[in-house]
Amino acid sequence: MNSSRFHSPTKTQWSRWLTNALAYIILSAFALVMLFPFLYMFATSLKTPDDTYNYPPRFFPREQSTVQVEGYPDPLPMYYVEKDGQRLAFALAQQTVPAGVYAPPDALDQTVAVPLELAVPNGQTAVVDGQEQPLLDVPVDGQIVSMVQVGKTALGRFINPDNPSEEVFQNVRKSEPVNRITWNPENYVRVMTLENMGRSLTNTTLVTLFVVIGQVTTSVLGGYAFARLRFPGRDKLFVVYLGTMMIPFVMLIIPLYQLMVLFGWVDSLAALIFPWVFTAYGTFLMRQFFITVPKEIEEAALIDGASRLQILWRIFLPAAAPALATLATFTFLYAWNSFFWPLVIINTGNYDNHVLTLTLNMLRGRASDQGNIILAGAAISILPPMILFILGQRFFIESAMSSGVKG
Amino acid sequence: MTPALDVRSTRLTQRLIQSATLWHIVAALAGLAAVVLIAAGVIVLNLPAWLRITAGVLLLVFTGASAAAAWFLHQRKRVGRSLSLVTNYLGFIVSLLALFQFLGIFTGVDALADTFSRGLWALAGVFLGYLISASGDRFHASIDTEILLKKIGKYVALASFIVFLFLVGLVDGLLYLARQFAQPTAAAALFLTLVFGFMVWALWREDSGIALNRSNAHTETLEGYLFLSPNLLGFLVFFAFPLLFSFFVSLTDWDAFGNQNFIGLRNYANIFTLNLQPLDYAGQLMTEVMDGSIFSELLRFNFFGKEFLLGAKDALFWISLRNTLLFVILTVPLSAVPALLLANILNSKIPGMKVFRAIYFVPSIAATVGIALIWQWLYNASIGYINYFITLAVTFFNGTFGAALVDPQIRWLSEARTSMLAIVIMSAWQTMGFNTVLFLAGLQNIPKEIYEAATVDGAGSWARFWHMTLPLLAPTTFFVITTTTIQAMQVFEQVFIMTNPPGAPANSTLTIVLYLYQNGFQRFRQGYAAAIAWVLFTVIFLVTLLQFRNQRRTGGGYDM
Repeated sequence: MNSSRFHSPTKTQWSRWLTNALAYIILSAFALVMLFPFLYMFATSLKTPDDTYNYPPRFFPREQSTVQVEGYPDPLPMYYVEKDGQRLAFALAQQTVPAGVYAPPDALDQTVAVPLELAVPNGQTAVVDGQEQPLLDVPVDGQIVSMVQVGKTALGRFINPDNPSEEVFQNVRKSEPVNRITWNPENYVRVMTLENMGRSLTNTTLVTLFVVIGQVTTSVLGGYAFARLRFPGRDKLFVVYLGTMMIPFVMLIIPLYQLMVLFGWVDSLAALIFPWVFTAYGTFLMRQFFITVPKEIEEAALIDGASRLQILWRIFLPAAAPALATLATFTFLYAWNSFFWPLVIINTGNYDNHVLTLTLNMLRGRASDQGNIILAGAAISILPPMILFILGQRFFIESAMSSGVKG
Repeated sequence: MTPALDVRSTRLTQRLIQSATLWHIVAALAGLAAVVLIAAGVIVLNLPAWLRITAGVLLLVFTGASAAAAWFLHQRKRVGRSLSLVTNYLGFIVSLLALFQFLGIFTGVDALADTFSRGLWALAGVFLGYLISASGDRFHASIDTEILLKKIGKYVALASFIVFLFLVGLVDGLLYLARQFAQPTAAAALFLTLVFGFMVWALWREDSGIALNRSNAHTETLEGYLFLSPNLLGFLVFFAFPLLFSFFVSLTDWDAFGNQNFIGLRNYANIFTLNLQPLDYAGQLMTEVMDGSIFSELLRFNFFGKEFLLGAKDALFWISLRNTLLFVILTVPLSAVPALLLANILNSKIPGMKVFRAIYFVPSIAATVGIALIWQWLYNASIGYINYFITLAVTFFNGTFGAALVDPQIRWLSEARTSMLAIVIMSAWQTMGFNTVLFLAGLQNIPKEIYEAATVDGAGSWARFWHMTLPLLAPTTFFVITTTTIQAMQVFEQVFIMTNPPGAPANSTLTIVLYLYQNGFQRFRQGYAAAIAWVLFTVIFLVTLLQFRNQRRTGGGYDM
């Protein structure tokens, strides 16, 4: 039977199409859920402070459109105005024009707001609430109505950017701004310079670099010894190594802190590097790989008089490139994202030695009401792993799988 | 090799062995003297008592090993060489590290971080050099071009790296180091490093090995431990020793400043002491049935019509344990079940599967701190997207179906009812993709033939999933559930970032690790915190054991 071409006879083309469509709908829905927080982060990190607090939330960063109008030195902000029943985009030329609130003497609740200079006294009077008040000619929707003044207010003067003489007066706070999609990279500049992100990015990079190089080196040496050299106590030691992989890190946090006090490494980047250079996991991973390298090549090299170090360097390392990349990826993520240990060991006041996660923690308190700033910081910490993930996706996923294939 | 040279070389070897013997006698005597002087209090070590004892014991071991090495070397026995190599190698490592420590090389990383960014552009030059060198591979046709490009690339990278070293302050650093040698301790460490190093070299030589009857198995053993030594030593210092030490700390009332008294199991007793008392009537004050200065109220319950009150010496621990278990019970299925579904869909080999797999994986590569910050804003009660989506859904239902749903306007992180749920949702979201990849790996390991046979037998897709995929996937499922559980038991960062102050509101998000952190590093009760860590470890161990037994019972015969 040609099994790979086998189809269930009851399954029609149509139902297969439907199943696939359903599969894609579910997959896409989850993909959206997985990506949305990140998209939200990038979008918000480019917003202005006001825009962050807009409700309903708008996904893309927006800012008010401005326009350069002849006769005005600065660009003017744009608002929507009502003119002759139409909605038009006008420029705000003057923020506060003194205005009066006017109403017909027989219907005092039907008020209109018009600039003081446009309402002209017509010499007549009307009795309102037992008092005699002057009547004024007030232009309302192109008509002149005779009204009394009942209050004072301020209006904005909006002009048509194409024809500055065309004016509309209305309340600025109640006017809807004209928005356009934009982006504010200033948030990133600010967190990098003012909020210490630049320095902590350097620190994190340095720490990660040292941890990855150190851990790969010790793991390769140890893994080779476990995989290829016979010595008494080897297998027992390996079992001990395996057993410790299960022990959670929090077990070590108190004694390791004491150890750092003893070494005088508290508050120093050294405390973030050296304890993480020696791991059972990395040794295990390299050992599992080295054990698959055929013995014959090594034996031939030994007979030729090569030293163990030469064999490791010339034969095992080149072959182990994928395993090395996997280990490096795993270690990179661990070192880059770690938070608990830096929180414990680096003093809050010692900004110079803060790593990214610590700076984010500080930022959370200092800019607690500025989502745009906080999320710009988060983006800086998340972007490097993300870029690496896009470049070397395979190794990330393999490092995940390798942690699972122990059975 | 001429005979004359041969004789001279043999004489050199013999002389080296003799000097090593002499050195070991001197080292043994010096070690013994040091131990005696320390014990007599002549040399005052500014160290805590337990450490002085450890140092003394290590010195004694060194003395004994050194004396034995001298004796066996004198006898020209093979074991003498091994002992000598091991003691000298360890002495070399210890004095080298001490030298580094005195010179301030370890803490010098901070100074490097100061200047590192100045040299970054030069590192870009190294990368450029690599690119030039790599581009040489494209010119396989003309060997000359290939070699030329590789050479140029190498020199560009090297030159850039030298520029980088200068920019980050290599000269200043070296000058600083040179000045440090004026310290007597640094000079002594340097001297010891050189002596130990020389002695290692003297006996490691091929000729010395031959003179002392080395065998192949013997050499392999030495090489094995040599290769393992960086890892093993680091592992002992930074893992095995702290682990044992942690247990010792848990038996003391250690604060963060080094004051400690041995108090036996009192920390553990404090954690576990509970007090159950019947109440005369519901609503009776707690202080009427137990000592309020020792116990605080944990919960009241009604058992067969009788009111009871449960008090605990450390009620917060029990609250944190309850919260942690709640978190685990909710997070594990919430991240594993959708992952299983997604993995099954992805496994059907539809086009674009790799893209989806990659997308699902993204949350697990980002820092939990960053993710927690994002979600904190998504959860924002007034402007957050989550409440906005709920409002949209409510409006939609009310408008389309005429329902009269009320917009809940949940204050996610500031209400005790929902705060833990909020953390659970976020954590499940974060681990789901990782679990999907694990499940997918497990599914791809199941042979296709089994399914095809079942399809012939007329099994529907649901029956196939239920009766074949799940049992065959049992090892992966076990692994996913175990790792997710172990991770979830240690939940800390999410809570620490998202709730303010951490654990709020009303201790509803106080987890064990957070409680450990507060005890160890805010109240400086490190002994107590260490005890909590061991309790947590025991809980994790028991849960894992339980799952392991469960898996053994239900697990299929298919072994990965």
